[in-house]
Amino acid sequence: MTVSQISVFANSRPGHMSRVLALFEEAGVSVRGFSAADTGEYGILRFVVDKPEEALAALQQAGCACTVTPVLCLRLDDVPGELSRVMGVLARVGINVVYSYSMISTYIVLSCTDAERARELLAEEPVEMISQADIARIVAERTGKEA
Amino acid sequence: MTENAPIDVTAKGGALAAAAAGRFDALPVYKPEIECAPREHIEAVQLAKLQETVAYAYERVPYYRAKMDEMGVGPADIQTLADVRKLPFTDKAVLRDTFPFGLFAVPLSEIRELHSSSGTTGKPVVVGYTDDDMAMWSECIARLVQMAGVVPGDVAQMAFGYGMFTGGFGLHYGLQRLGCAMIPAGSGNTERHIQMIEDYGTTVLVATPSYAMHICEVGEQMGYDWETSPLRVGLFGGEPCPPGLKAEIERRMHIVCTDNYGLTEVMGPGVSGECLAERYQQHIAEDHFLWEVVDPETGEPVGEGEVGELVLTPLCKQGIPVLRYCTHDLTAVHTGPCACGRTLARMDKVRSRSDDMLIIRGTNVFPSQIEDVLTGIEEVTPHYHIVVRTKNGMDELIVETELRPEAFSDSFETMDALRRRIAEKLKATLLVAPTVRLVEPGGIERAVGKAKHVDDQRAK
Repeated sequence: MTVSQISVFANSRPGHMSRVLALFEEAGVSVRGFSAADTGEYGILRFVVDKPEEALAALQQAGCACTVTPVLCLRLDDVPGELSRVMGVLARVGINVVYSYSMISTYIVLSCTDAERARELLAEEPVEMISQADIARIVAERTGKEA
Repeated sequence: MTENAPIDVTAKGGALAAAAAGRFDALPVYKPEIECAPREHIEAVQLAKLQETVAYAYERVPYYRAKMDEMGVGPADIQTLADVRKLPFTDKAVLRDTFPFGLFAVPLSEIRELHSSSGTTGKPVVVGYTDDDMAMWSECIARLVQMAGVVPGDVAQMAFGYGMFTGGFGLHYGLQRLGCAMIPAGSGNTERHIQMIEDYGTTVLVATPSYAMHICEVGEQMGYDWETSPLRVGLFGGEPCPPGLKAEIERRMHIVCTDNYGLTEVMGPGVSGECLAERYQQHIAEDHFLWEVVDPETGEPVGEGEVGELVLTPLCKQGIPVLRYCTHDLTAVHTGPCACGRTLARMDKVRSRSDDMLIIRGTNVFPSQIEDVLTGIEEVTPHYHIVVRTKNGMDELIVETELRPEAFSDSFETMDALRRRIAEKLKATLLVAPTVRLVEPGGIERAVGKAKHVDDQRAK
């Protein structure tokens, strides 16, 4: 059982990722997980969506360089050691994980060219920004609950 | 400074001080009997040599004999210097089509050295020099280095690469001919260059202006004091030298800098050189090169002092007797006397060309070559954009090319391998290693009309 990941070639420049997202929005495609990695000049955007065929058609229509790759998708319990346990299964048999990212984009991580300005802009928006302390607190609270 | 106070041009700052005081008598002239000769004498020498050259080319080079027969012109038709216009033009394509030795007028046993520059397609242009050609070349260099105040006994350090490029060996032989000690350091390793200047007491540096600027900056960062350094003269070439950059180097390194003009197809560096009186111009070695300035569209001569394409006929060159070589360099030539005392004509420094050739790290690059290579690579479209910029004192060539949608792969490894393969193919043709950037399909602007493919960000 695999899911169809949509990969898109994009230059690492402002507006290139949002253009792809606009195409998805127009096609009524919902992004359920994504990763954006770059080499400094170009990047590969990877998406897991609800309707891969529609997503691919919209991208091809717009002339984008894109492709579908079958990938594995796992749901982990949010308990310590789960990630390690799953990776361990593959490591023991010599399977390399080329890349991996987490899905359901409720918490996303961004690395931007102007981090300070990006922080200021997003602070004005109706979106919650998470601090390192928040992450520690969330984990501590849950650990406390379980204890 | 009194009128006749002695000025030591071999002291640091001496040459510029002499020029500023108008004391050109204090600066050396390598061969005054021709460099400062009356125009009639220069032209008489040119005519005699032109007649000899045309007869030689007609006799020894089948290409020129056929071309001249076809045009109905023979060596006997050259009665005045203006008769040069009866002769065929030669362009780079002729050198390419006769590759490698089709234009050679002597057997290889008489050739002492081969050099090459890149051609407009895959094949380079190759040139050969006889013993006499080498002597003539060295003399041209000796003349122009003396214009900057270099004298026998100077210690000259080479920061050009050697190899097939004419710049390195050309300056090397010419400086030796004058009586200088050569340090063949070659390009790269900037800190070592600075160490050698200090250790060996180098007085003359041969470099591209952008690399000289890099040496200057690295020296400053190392805490090297250029003001007390033995270095006195910078001889620049391999790329155009922006006046602002030269002035900056002179100020910060406390040296005098000149640059010269030349091209492999007619000899190499040394066709013309800058004196300290007219720093935006260069004296042409007219006894070795007959110049014409023509309208690039019609091939007809432009008026005296007007801008046009420079056409050069090397005189009495034995290895390859090229007739009327079209340089595609735009300039104007002036024949009035110069304050430095020389009577040899002066050409304005070349700032533009009648074609789109770029000079990158001393190598000629045509955008059409890049297009040809990209057309042969199925993963990309032939659309491209070229950026040329200066990075650490060296020219950097960036070629942006569009990925075809079907060539995309969800693997950085595959995409990077493609990028490297394109860079290798380009390098094999251009003889310059480019940085290749892959761009999204449609990501390169489609210019209307003559496409603007080149963004040259280097200082002008």
